[in-house]
Order: sequence, then C-alpha cells, then structure tokens
Amino acid sequence: MLVLLFKNFLRSKGTKIGLLFLLLIGFISLLIGHQFQEKQYNTITEASVYQKEHIARNAVYHKDDIGLLLYYIKFSLVNKTLPINSLAIGQRDVNPSIQSVTIRGLEAQKYDAELNNPNNLLSGNIDFSFVLIYLFPLLIVAFSYNVISEEKESGTWKIVATQSQNTFAFILKLFYVRILSLAALFTIILVAAVLFLNIPIDVSLLTFFVLGILYILFWFAVCFFIVSLQKHSNYNAVILLTIWLFLIVILPAAINTYIVNKYKVPEALELTLTQRNAYHEKWDMDKMTTLNKFYEHYPQFKHYPLPEKEFSWLWYYAMQQMGDDESAGQSRELEAKLQQRNLASQQIAQFIPTLHTQLQLNEIAHADLGNQLLFLKETAKFHEKMRLHFYPKIFDEALVEKENWSKYKVETFNDSTKTSFAKAFLPLVLFILILIGFGWRNFKRGVI
Amino acid sequence: MKLLHAEILIARHFRNSVFKNSAIFIITLFIGILLLYAAFSGWENYSNQNETSEKYQHQSREDWLKNPDKNPHRMAHYGNFAFRKSTSLSVFEFGMEPFFGNAIFLEAHKQNTANFSEAGFSNSMLRFGEISIAMVLQVLLPLLIFFLGFNSIAYERENGTLKILLTQGINWKQLLTGKILGVASVIMLLFLPTILILVLIWLVLQNFTITTDETIKLLLFIGFHFVYLIFFCIIAVLVSAVSTTSKKALISLIGIWLVFTIILPRTTQAVGAYIFEAPSKIKFSSDIEKDILKQGDSHNPNDPHYKAIKDSLLRVYKVDSVQKLPFNYSGFIMTEGEKISSRIYNEHLEQLLQIYEQQNSFSKTVSFLNPYIAMKNLSMGLSNTDYDSYIDFQKQAEAYRYTMAQKMNALQIKYISNKKPVAKDKPLTINKDHWADVEEFHYEPKGIWEVLKSEIISIISIILWITLLLILIRTASKKLKAI
Repeated sequence: MLVLLFKNFLRSKGTKIGLLFLLLIGFISLLIGHQFQEKQYNTITEASVYQKEHIARNAVYHKDDIGLLLYYIKFSLVNKTLPINSLAIGQRDVNPSIQSVTIRGLEAQKYDAELNNPNNLLSGNIDFSFVLIYLFPLLIVAFSYNVISEEKESGTWKIVATQSQNTFAFILKLFYVRILSLAALFTIILVAAVLFLNIPIDVSLLTFFVLGILYILFWFAVCFFIVSLQKHSNYNAVILLTIWLFLIVILPAAINTYIVNKYKVPEALELTLTQRNAYHEKWDMDKMTTLNKFYEHYPQFKHYPLPEKEFSWLWYYAMQQMGDDESAGQSRELEAKLQQRNLASQQIAQFIPTLHTQLQLNEIAHADLGNQLLFLKETAKFHEKMRLHFYPKIFDEALVEKENWSKYKVETFNDSTKTSFAKAFLPLVLFILILIGFGWRNFKRGVI
Repeated sequence: MKLLHAEILIARHFRNSVFKNSAIFIITLFIGILLLYAAFSGWENYSNQNETSEKYQHQSREDWLKNPDKNPHRMAHYGNFAFRKSTSLSVFEFGMEPFFGNAIFLEAHKQNTANFSEAGFSNSMLRFGEISIAMVLQVLLPLLIFFLGFNSIAYERENGTLKILLTQGINWKQLLTGKILGVASVIMLLFLPTILILVLIWLVLQNFTITTDETIKLLLFIGFHFVYLIFFCIIAVLVSAVSTTSKKALISLIGIWLVFTIILPRTTQAVGAYIFEAPSKIKFSSDIEKDILKQGDSHNPNDPHYKAIKDSLLRVYKVDSVQKLPFNYSGFIMTEGEKISSRIYNEHLEQLLQIYEQQNSFSKTVSFLNPYIAMKNLSMGLSNTDYDSYIDFQKQAEAYRYTMAQKMNALQIKYISNKKPVAKDKPLTINKDHWADVEEFHYEPKGIWEVLKSEIISIISIILWITLLLILIRTASKKLKAI
C-alpha cells in the first residue's frame, strides 16, 4: 500500500519538478555558503599577514619612539567562524568578524562597520537556512494543500473511503509519504553540506539536523490541521499561503518594529559624542587633573610621574583613557539595551516557529546578536590586555628594537555558548503536538 | 453614458460578488489595518531617526564651536560628524535604510566607516523584511489581487455561466475589461484611502511647506504604484481567462507571485554577489595603506617624495632649513599628504563601488522580467532610500571631511609659527573664532532628475510591461474560447 502511495506521489510531474527545484536551490545555497566560508577564511589569513607586515614596517619607521609606534599599530581579534556558519550566515555579513584596534580609546573603534553593499544585505543571502525556512514550507504546502480535497472534488474519494477500512490511517499514510520525501531531501542536502563544507559531525550539526526535521514536521502539522477542516482545495491553498506569509513576513516584521521602538538606542550616538569630547577637552585642561584620574583607575602606574615637558605619552594615553572612562556609562547602557533586544526577541520568537528556528540556527552557527555582543565584550578585554601590556613599556620609554614584535599575532575569540536542547526543540514540539491534536479531533468529529 | 456600459456592469457585479465572500472581506480588512500600522510605524521611525540625527548633528556642531583657542591640527582631529537624515517619502518606503550606517566620524587623515546601522543592532529578525506602506502596496496587494482575480473568469467557465455571458452579446474584450475594472475597483477601496493618508502625513511632516522636487517625487510615487497595481489586476484576469479551472488559475498566480516577489529578487542579487566578489574590509584598507606608502610616507623623514618637496621649497625660498620658511612647513606637508591619501582612497573606493555596481547590475537587468524589482527600485529611488542615495551621502560626507581637513591645514600654514615650541613652551594656538569658518555638514538628497536618470531602466521596464499587457488583452480577446 505504502509503496503504491509513494509511486503515485512521485509519479506526478509537479512533485518531481518541486523536489528537483528544491534540491537545486539547496545545492546553490551550499555554493554560496562555500564562497562565504572561503571569504571568511581568506580574510583571517590576510589579517595575520597584514598585521605582521604592518607592525614590522611601523617598528622600523618609529624605532625611536615606542609611544608613537603604538599610536599607529593595530592588533586584530578574530571572531571564530564555524564551518556550520556557511549554512546559516545570519548576522555575520552585517557585523565584522575581525576587530582591529590600536591601544588608543576603544569606544571610537569598537563599532566600526564592515564594508558592505547594502543591496546584498537588503535582499538577503541564499544560505541553507533560507532554503529551509522559506522554501521548504512552500513545497510542503504545495504537496499537501489538496490531500483529500482533490479526491473529493474529482469524485474519487468515495471509492477510497469504501475500499479502506480506516480512512484516517489512509490520510496519515498520505502525509507519511510526503514527510518522508521532504525529510529525505533535507537529509541529502545536509549530508552533501557536511562533505562539501567540511562541517564536523558534532552536537551543533545534530541540533541543526533535529531543528530542521522538527521545522519540516511543524509545517506538515499546519497542513494536517488545515486539511482536517475539509474545505475546498482553493480555500486550503489561500489559507496556507496566508499562514506562510504571516509567519515568514508579517509577524517577524511587526515584532521587529516593536522591539526597535521599545528599546531605542540613542546611546550609540550619544556615546560617540561623549567619547570625542572627553578625550579632546583634556588637551586644554590641567595635566595633573587628567593624570590623577588616570592614577585612580590604574593605581599600579602611580609611580610614573608626569614628565617635565609640554608633551608626554603618559599624558597622551591618560587623555585617551579618559575618552573611554567618561563614556563608560553610555557604553554599558548601550550594551544593556542590545542585550534586552536580544532577550526580548528570543522570548517572543518562541511563539513564532519560523522566527524561532531562524534564531536558533543562527545561534548554533554563532551568527546571532548574542554572539556579536560577546565578541564586542571580548574585544574590550583584548584591548585592555594590550593596553596594560604596553602602558609600562611606553611610560618607561622602552626601546623599540628590544621588543620582539613578531610575537604579536592575530588572536581568536571562541564563543563557547552551548545551545540548550529544551530551549531549541520544545517550542516546535509543542506546536506540532497541538496542531496534530486539533487536526485529529477534527477528523474524528467530522465524517470523512 | 453608453461608453463602457457593459464593462461597468460586469465590474459592478464582480465587486458585489467579492464582498459576499467573508474570507476576502476579512483579508481586505486586515490589509487595511496593516496599512495603518505601516503608516504609524513609518512615521515613528522617521521622526525618531530625524530627531536623533538632528539633535546630535546640532550638539556636535555646538561642541565644535565651543572649542577654545588651539592648534588647528588638533581641531582637524577633533573632527565633525555626518549624521544621516531621511527624506519625507521614506516614511512610506524604508528601502535599505536599516542597513545604512547612521553616523560617520570625519577627521583628518582618515576615512571612517558609516557606523551604527539598525541592522547591526538587531538580530536576524530584521532580515525577514519590514512592514512599510510600500511593502504592503508592492507585495501584499498583488497577492490580494490574485486571490480576488483567480476566480474572475475561470469560475464562470467551470459553472458554465461563461457561455451564457458570451451568447448574450458580450464580447471577450468587454468581459476582460469589465473583470479587470472589477478587481481594480476593489483594490482602489484600499488604495485610495491609503493615498489620502499618505498625502496627509506627507503634508504634516513638511509643515505644509512643500517643494516642487518633493511634490514631483510624491506624485510619481503614487502614479507608479497605481500603474503597478493595475497590471497585477490585468495579469490576474488574463491568467484566470486562459486557465481551464479556477484551481489551476490560483496555483499559477501564486507561482507568479512567489517568483516575482520572493524568489527572483533574492536570487538575482545573490547571483550578482556570487559572481562579482567584493574585497573584505581588511584587504581594502591594507591595499590603500600600501598604495599610500608607494606614493610616499609623510611620517617618514627620509621618504623620497617628501624629501623632494622639502628640497624644492628650500631652493625656491633660498633658505637652508624648513624652520626658516615663511610659512608653517608641517602644515604644508600635511596638505600634500591629505591630498595624496584622499586621492588614493577615492580611487580604491571607486573600484569597490564598481564591484557593487556590477553586483547590482544583475537585478537591475532582471527588472525587465520582473515588475516588482522595477517598482521597488523606483520607489526606493524616489524616497532616497536606495543604494545610490547612500553612496551619495557617503560621498558628500567625504567631500566635507576633505574640505575641513584642508581648511585646518591652511590655517596652520598661515597662522602657526614655523618654530617648534621647545620643552616647556606653551603650545601654538590660533583664535577660536576660526572654527566657525568651517560650515556645518548638510546633506542634500538627490533631486528628482538625478533619481529618474539612475532609475531609467525601471521606468522603461514598467512602460514595457504595461504595453505588453495591453497587447495581451487585445490578442486574448481574439483568441480565447469559452470552453
């Protein structure tokens, strides 16, 4: 029986075209993921070459003045790109994966944007998560909107109903065939991705896989429920497409507007202005005032007295430090706001399966806002580390040639956030159970 | 009025039958609510964006002027900001705004990135799209038109009423026109109030003082959207007329809609980005750094380029050291350095922008096949939220930066003594009144002619589409059969 149903399903021209189209675009998404991966890896390799050259060159030019040298040289921190990131590019195209900073004020450097063609950002990537979240549901809808209703409209349903003892089981089998085909398609593309993109087989991949399967099941559950209402095929098609539109476009957009307006971030601009003034006004202020604040922040440098000259690097870096110190309030507030945005969107997303799946996939791929915020935090730590390392050398006027400059390599930040299974899977599972439950009730109540 | 009498009758009949269907009524009502929401949130976005940007532009200007007497080079590093402001039409069409950086810090020697884009501060939710009036008009209304129109003729055919109609002396052309008018009249019930609200908001935002430029943009915005909606009405009725059953008509129309609004826009842009790969930021900036070094490094005292300048200056002024020159030597060198570095930067930027143009050229060409892309590009152009406007903003900011830096260098050359202060001397300064000489940054959005010029492909595409459809109505009227 099942074999016959399979044959019947796959024999249809529409089915074949649909599956082939999805397979093709799935592979295209892998190509795009591959290019993204290559670019990320190249950038990281380039970054370490450039850093080496850049430091070596400057160390020659400014060999008499370590303070001036450190005014110029930049140190890079890389936000590690996981291979699975190629499947869900997420926010990694908007946000830079490398931060290059000098030991001067951090706040003026921290938010430097990535170079981007806004057109590409607007239309979005065709990564595998797009294929899964946008296109799989369309095919699921196309395959299941007319289950039963088609047979009823063409008059064959009565024959089916009289010939099988359990019509409900028959309907389940129809769905079973479709679910199996799409789950198989999803698995094929994912296996191809693992081989082609060298994705390690680990918990992340497993979570990705389970989420994908659950997401596919969710859409089948939606179709099952709509089919259980036993309306006309046209009605089913219109309703299912409207649901798709709601979950994919309207609700996410509406929620985004809500979050953006609820957690506004004027702190961002405020921060840059404060930071600029805080540093620059020190040029016209009494030097000791600045230095006393500096000593307060770093008591370990108290034994460096202000040199008896108009300009000294101790004073200069103390002024730079004040730019950060006096804008720290806004900086913290901005970070808190962004955290709130992240948290709020994750919480709301639990009730919207499309959004939830996208956010979870991005989290697995370390390409979400949470990862970006951690990276910014890590950048601050990295910057502080470099500062504290070089401050005493500058204040001691250490010789440039005494320092082994080649040891300052590009460093990497490894996001160790673990995705919780319950948080990732539970919302989808609940939705699936509820929809199937209601659908089942409808079928039992109505005469099939 | 004998003219179009039959058509109007058909249209009226169609409209009445549509509103008997409660599902359609609910969807229409819902889209109406969505339009209101879009107008409201667009307004809030716009006023928020502009208030913030104006506030900080103003504040940064005051900060700039408040600076005490100091060395002009310190002021060049103190710098200025360019904050992006939106035009009033961007209330209805957000375009690429969320992906634009909102502030650029402008200082000497250095071209900074435009930072703090909305996209950078949000998680991937934004990537699902936004609800704006333009989005409702361009994406949702066509789908509603298809939901309304798929039945228009196919259903009459299924029921057998089509034959009756045609035998009663109605010809195909009258029938098609009548049904198109019918669908259009339902859509106008949404479109006209939207336009009314749109114009009202637009007037309020400008405090009723309107410019011709803005007015033409608004009229074109309305006009093109009207045409755009009409040709979806035509497509819906034509597809319904050639389909044997209403189900087939519905499925084909949904297919067309998906390809036009969801699949093609993303794919073409992705193909463009895939073929023409843009360099990473780190490569871009290090290439610039290398090229500048090739030209000469102003920080390196032994650099041949700057040494040649120094030697020729000494010769012309017949002095033996730069300290004896009658003007500030380091100001002069910095002027030269700024000139070289910004020329090189601009050359690299041009190359980068060319790659972006190539990436975009794909979807621009496809706008001939896809009226949605044509309409989207045009409406983004009119509301100055398109790619060109953003590049324009960045270029204006860079031009301002260059002028500011060179003005500070000129002040240094003229007023700062050539003798470097030693050990405990007070630093050399100039009077703070000079700061006001640098004008405030003011962004001028592109005018209507510029927009039309850059969006000419979209306009041609829309005109071609409407002609094609009118021709199709004619040929269909002759060839269609009742069965």
